[in-house]
Amino acid sequence: MTRALRISQVGVRGVVGPGLTATHVVEFVAAFVAFLREPGVVVVARDPRASGLMIREVTVAALLASGRDVVDLGIAPTPVLQHTITRLRAAGGISIGASHNAPEWNALKFFGGRGRYLSTAEANELLDFYHLGRSCYVGHEALGTLTSDAGAIDAYLDQLAAAFDFDALRRLTVVVDCCNGTSALVLGRLGQRHGFRPVLINERLEGVAFAHEPSTTARTVALQLAPVVVPLGAAAGFLFDADSDRVAIADNRGRALSEELVLPLVADYSLPREQGRTVITNLSTTALVDDVVRAHGGRVMRVPVGRQAAADALASLPPETVALAGEGTGAVMMPRFNFAYDGIASMLAVLSLIVEGGRTLADMVDAYPRYVMLKGEVPLAASRMPAVLARLRERFVTGRGGGVATIVDGLRVDWPDRWFHVRVSQTEPIVRVISEQRGEAPEALHASLLEEVRRG
Amino acid sequence: MAKPCGESRREHLLKIGVSGVRGVVGDFLTPAIATAFAQAFGTYVGGGPVVLGRDTRASGAMLVHAVTGGLLASGCEVVQVGVLPTPTIQVYVSATGARGGLAITASHNPPEYNALKLFNVRGLFFNGYERAELVDLYHQRAFRESVNAEMRGIVDASHLAPRIHLDRVLGLVDVPRIRTRRMRVALDAVNGAASVMSCTFLRDDLGCELHAIAVDPSRPFPRDPEPRADTLTDLARLVVETGADIGFGQDPDGDRLAIVDETGRVLDNDDVLAMVVDSALPRLHGDVVVNLTTSSAIDDIARAQGRRVHRTPVGEANVVEMMEAVGAAIGGEGSNGGVICRQVHLCRDSFAAMALVLDRVAATGLPVSQLAAKLPRYVRRQGKVPFEHGRLGRLVQQLVEALPEAEADTSDGLKLSLPGGWIHVRASNTEPVLRIAAEAPDRDVADELYEKALALASLEQP
Repeated sequence: MTRALRISQVGVRGVVGPGLTATHVVEFVAAFVAFLREPGVVVVARDPRASGLMIREVTVAALLASGRDVVDLGIAPTPVLQHTITRLRAAGGISIGASHNAPEWNALKFFGGRGRYLSTAEANELLDFYHLGRSCYVGHEALGTLTSDAGAIDAYLDQLAAAFDFDALRRLTVVVDCCNGTSALVLGRLGQRHGFRPVLINERLEGVAFAHEPSTTARTVALQLAPVVVPLGAAAGFLFDADSDRVAIADNRGRALSEELVLPLVADYSLPREQGRTVITNLSTTALVDDVVRAHGGRVMRVPVGRQAAADALASLPPETVALAGEGTGAVMMPRFNFAYDGIASMLAVLSLIVEGGRTLADMVDAYPRYVMLKGEVPLAASRMPAVLARLRERFVTGRGGGVATIVDGLRVDWPDRWFHVRVSQTEPIVRVISEQRGEAPEALHASLLEEVRRG
Repeated sequence: MAKPCGESRREHLLKIGVSGVRGVVGDFLTPAIATAFAQAFGTYVGGGPVVLGRDTRASGAMLVHAVTGGLLASGCEVVQVGVLPTPTIQVYVSATGARGGLAITASHNPPEYNALKLFNVRGLFFNGYERAELVDLYHQRAFRESVNAEMRGIVDASHLAPRIHLDRVLGLVDVPRIRTRRMRVALDAVNGAASVMSCTFLRDDLGCELHAIAVDPSRPFPRDPEPRADTLTDLARLVVETGADIGFGQDPDGDRLAIVDETGRVLDNDDVLAMVVDSALPRLHGDVVVNLTTSSAIDDIARAQGRRVHRTPVGEANVVEMMEAVGAAIGGEGSNGGVICRQVHLCRDSFAAMALVLDRVAATGLPVSQLAAKLPRYVRRQGKVPFEHGRLGRLVQQLVEALPEAEADTSDGLKLSLPGGWIHVRASNTEPVLRIAAEAPDRDVADELYEKALALASLEQP
């Protein structure tokens, strides 16, 4: 089965045309307004994909027709959208963009008041509303009106300026691969407004042909960003996905760092200054997070993969007890600023760590305990998955395997120096196989996992 | 939404059919329907630039987004012209080589309604065959679904379109002669799409002394938007108070025109058409096309200038199709104040009508009331009775039997023509009523014909 459309708790996502159509958009947005209980405006932003204009038009129409006033930020990062929802005390917001996916994809992400992600219960209710064909259209005298907000990026930057020392950061040479996405708008303005001017590559907003896939991985960092770090004498290089909620890093020696390192680095910066001690991350994220967080006297809470589970965990804890939430994908949230995964704030945190620590990024990374993670994927045979998981459990937990099992999201098995996680992707028809070991690569373990999963 | 089906049965809250989409905005005309219909339209015209404009009603802005989204999804480039009269949008389509156009307007309907008017590559209303194909596409959901790389953008052409239209209209008339007269003109544009352009046109282009009301497109309609004697009382008063030579009343999308003479009397729409045709024919080549229910006055005027009159079923599209077929110079529908002048564009155009009437006044130096008084005079009786499906056929039979000597035309209901007058009975396209009209040179005959038709129609009441 080729999957060109996915309508799920995460929102609506698909290949525009064969999968995602204008009709899906208008019906889902209408359901979203019927679902929103709070009164107030709805904020909209999009990434630069060409299809974003179509989706914006249909989204705005459905919102206005449902009696909601709309603030359209145009092409803007998702973290800016979430910040604007809070600043305007809006009822919610919609981000149009397919973040790290290829240009032909697009998606709608829905946010509630204060820019927060929907909980699982809310997302389920929204999905029910969509399937029921709910809407709350109003008559011609009660239709909403559309405005823009040219100051959204500045207001967002002002908030960051209050938290980070831009005077100190200005001294660093930094290079950024914008992947033709929204980060270019914020970073350009950062230079004009705060005098901090990263060197930008792939900074042109592009609707159709991205310079390369806008995913935040060591592989994409190695393409164009890592090679220019040393020639420029930069302290670090950063790469953002199209909607700027994720970041990936190259160090000062031009090495493309694993995306798994973003969360430990931000934790090293944040934990000493946060009141909260808890770091929420998912079951697939590196064990280095545990080492770093423990060293700062914090604790790690592991949840299933996906923003939904992290949002649920965040909602279940007193906000002041949470220092960070993040994933091994380069998406990190500092609840102190916003309930938003924010690649730009993450970049500023890592740069601040460099300035304050007086060490190079490469030296910091090399001082971490060494973990090697292997990631693989196998095409999904959905009907066989329960059997595969049961077999893995038998082999690695109950028998002589002796591992500790966690079964809230596929199967994760832990040993003192290594672990693996086998789970079904929420976005693609694949099984993800991840294993990690302290010191060296868990080659044999990984190979046997792949073999078991492929056997079906 | 979850209303019992009987409630909306005869109210026409939503109509999707060969005349496009029309309905009450809210639960009936939804953005989902507008987007899907626009995507069907974009699929039908095959991509490329499509012109999109609207009138001033409150739901227009929302529907522009819905329609733009549907057009973009089908791979069209959307050329937005903003708030403009329907004829201006049509002229712009024809002048720019766009693949088609849409006007978001419910014309003279109340403000809670809105609709999509659809134009082909030549800026003409889709013909019946095209409309049927488009509606099939809509129902089949057989849309062109563009992928990211095929997506086009939005272009703003709002500043370009008005001049193209107005220059064509000015080419119809003796502009210096009109300017020299410095006529005093009153205007009621119902705060509609023609508000700004009509002021420019009358004041700047034609040098009139303008006294205007309801020319603020940001405000709601201050009156029933159909320009009629009973809705234009403010305009009539304005004419008298300012001592204007003439008053013009427009509808929200600027295709219809009503005229008030210098005494404050609103002219009969058939007289407006007759006056405009009389003014236009000497300077234009070709015949005249009107619908079956238009006054016989038009036949006398055409005959006097050696032209033929061709009759069509009621509806602008029918008149336009016939004008094309016979190469007519001018046409219209007396019943609704629409004048179509081929040299400008094959569409109803209040600007062409204003220009031609002012030209007539300037040429003759006569007051509008006298120009009207000189028109051929017929007595018209008309009315409507509730319509029940299946009644029209028997009524037609009975009328034909009752007047065996009449010449019968059944192209739109029944028109019976006698040497001394005519009867026309037809089912309305927009309301659940039968419309009955009778006309004759003298009152007794008109009364007799009308009463005969009405009696038969009423007998049929259940």
